[in-house]
Amino acid sequence: MAIEIQTIQHLCELSKLDYDEEGMKKVMGEMSDIIDLMDKIKEFDLTYDDTKDGNDIRFGDTREDDPEESFPTEKLLSNAENTDGCYVVPKVVD
Amino acid sequence: MDLIRTRIRDLRKALDSKEISAVELCGEYFKRIEAVDKDLLSYITVTKDEAMRSAENAQKLIDEGKSSALTGIPLAIKDNICIDGVRTTCASRMLENFIPPYNATVIEKLNAQGYVLLGRTSMDEFAMGGSNQTSAFAKTKNPYDLERVPGGSSGGSAAAVSASLAPAALGSDTGGSIRQPSSFCGVTGIKPTYGRVSRYGLVAFASSLDQIGPICNDTRDCAVILNAICGHDRHDATSAKAEVPDFTEKLGQPIKGMKIALPKEFYAEGVDEAVKDAVMNAAHELEKQGAVLVECSMPGLKYAIPAYYLIACAEAASNLSRFDGIKYGFRGEGRTFEELIRDSRSRGFGEEVKRRILLGNYALSSGYYDAYYKKALALKQEIIRQYNRIFEQADVILTPTAPTPAYKIGSQDSDPVKMYQADICTVTVNIAKLPGVSTTCGYTESGLPIGMSIIGKRFDETTILQCADAFEQGFVPVAPKL
Repeated sequence: MAIEIQTIQHLCELSKLDYDEEGMKKVMGEMSDIIDLMDKIKEFDLTYDDTKDGNDIRFGDTREDDPEESFPTEKLLSNAENTDGCYVVPKVVD
Repeated sequence: MDLIRTRIRDLRKALDSKEISAVELCGEYFKRIEAVDKDLLSYITVTKDEAMRSAENAQKLIDEGKSSALTGIPLAIKDNICIDGVRTTCASRMLENFIPPYNATVIEKLNAQGYVLLGRTSMDEFAMGGSNQTSAFAKTKNPYDLERVPGGSSGGSAAAVSASLAPAALGSDTGGSIRQPSSFCGVTGIKPTYGRVSRYGLVAFASSLDQIGPICNDTRDCAVILNAICGHDRHDATSAKAEVPDFTEKLGQPIKGMKIALPKEFYAEGVDEAVKDAVMNAAHELEKQGAVLVECSMPGLKYAIPAYYLIACAEAASNLSRFDGIKYGFRGEGRTFEELIRDSRSRGFGEEVKRRILLGNYALSSGYYDAYYKKALALKQEIIRQYNRIFEQADVILTPTAPTPAYKIGSQDSDPVKMYQADICTVTVNIAKLPGVSTTCGYTESGLPIGMSIIGKRFDETTILQCADAFEQGFVPVAPKL
């Protein structure tokens, strides 16, 4: 099934991704093939029952909400560009 | 010291007997990395200075008689496991300069034993791929044939161990990313039960499937590393509160009476004859040791690829939404907030990662959610049921790890569908949260390794390790000529 350009554009919007014209053409072809592969699952005739998820592993309980020392601000900001003691983003309010 | 396929336990003896110091051992590995890795490209970052310092500290512990199993043992770590102060790229332009401010729990556990970090191994970008050819920095090659892929996504870790550029490494496995490269590179790798090892500090791909595990020269070494890294972690709500055994406890015990299931769908069309023959020969070797082979079926396997990719990509689309170019990672350009985020993501992510984000958002979006994502979850439940039925009559399951041996670089890269279908033998293990170990069971006529997978019940790693070890004791592995 060929995927429509509007569908890909919608997915790009949801994914915050841009393609140029050539890239868009290429990804449309690839996504059409991938969706064809995914469509096989439609043959499978069972409904998901979220009460029987089979997740019977006993995971850890939620930990106590104890205050802990946080990471140093400088260390966290060291991975961000344009820092001035805070994260810098383009102007959003005039 | 001869480093070729030297096992952790041999290094332990050499270190404790003072045959070699931790610093000398570390230096030997760096010499070999320098000589071999320019062709192999298994490492993205080599951490020589830090390693020498760690080795000196480890030596002090050894001299004081306080060594643990991994004290002074050099290890390579896949580049998606956070290490405080050491660049962690996920093989992506997006994280090219990312320096984590904290250690993953597995790193804390290895540090507690005084391990030595050799460097960060290459991988498919964000662990998405089975060839290591989606890495933005080091497209690793197969040590047995440099024209072939090492597998992926932990291809750098598997190639480094195979080529003796590390005695062992950590990888991560979301749909086969430890087991398949272990198979392609002729080494042994285990994906533990989901929840067995903390995921805290592992850069998330698909949170319900990801699991960290070791890649080693043999099963016994895998058990040693599992002993170091397993256990409940308060920082990971999905780490299990299950008792952690000594993973070496069943090694060497006879497998007489062990029931080994062979689901026929794993040996069907699409699997190379050479692979089928090697795995069946291994099954008969195990039978000679007293194991009982049980025929069985897993009809759900034919839907496993779409189920896996829908679940994994849906989770990836959500997990990777954090990469916006603002707090960390590649920062694009833009006059507005929206433009900045779109440019950062469009230029920071590679093509395969973008395809998977698109697929994930497709499966989760209005109008498609029930038809794709919920159907995939229904299939996950069915696959778990089918595994449970098999385990009513068997102790472990034996399958090929991959349908083919390592393939030529470039032969599948342009066809995502072909690439996805190659994961058929491994993905159901992640979907069902089971443990699986891959070890070499033979070689093709041209000398490429073939791997078999032994799958166990949840939290029963000791039995699959026992079975893999029983086979390895009668098998002579061949190291690559590098």
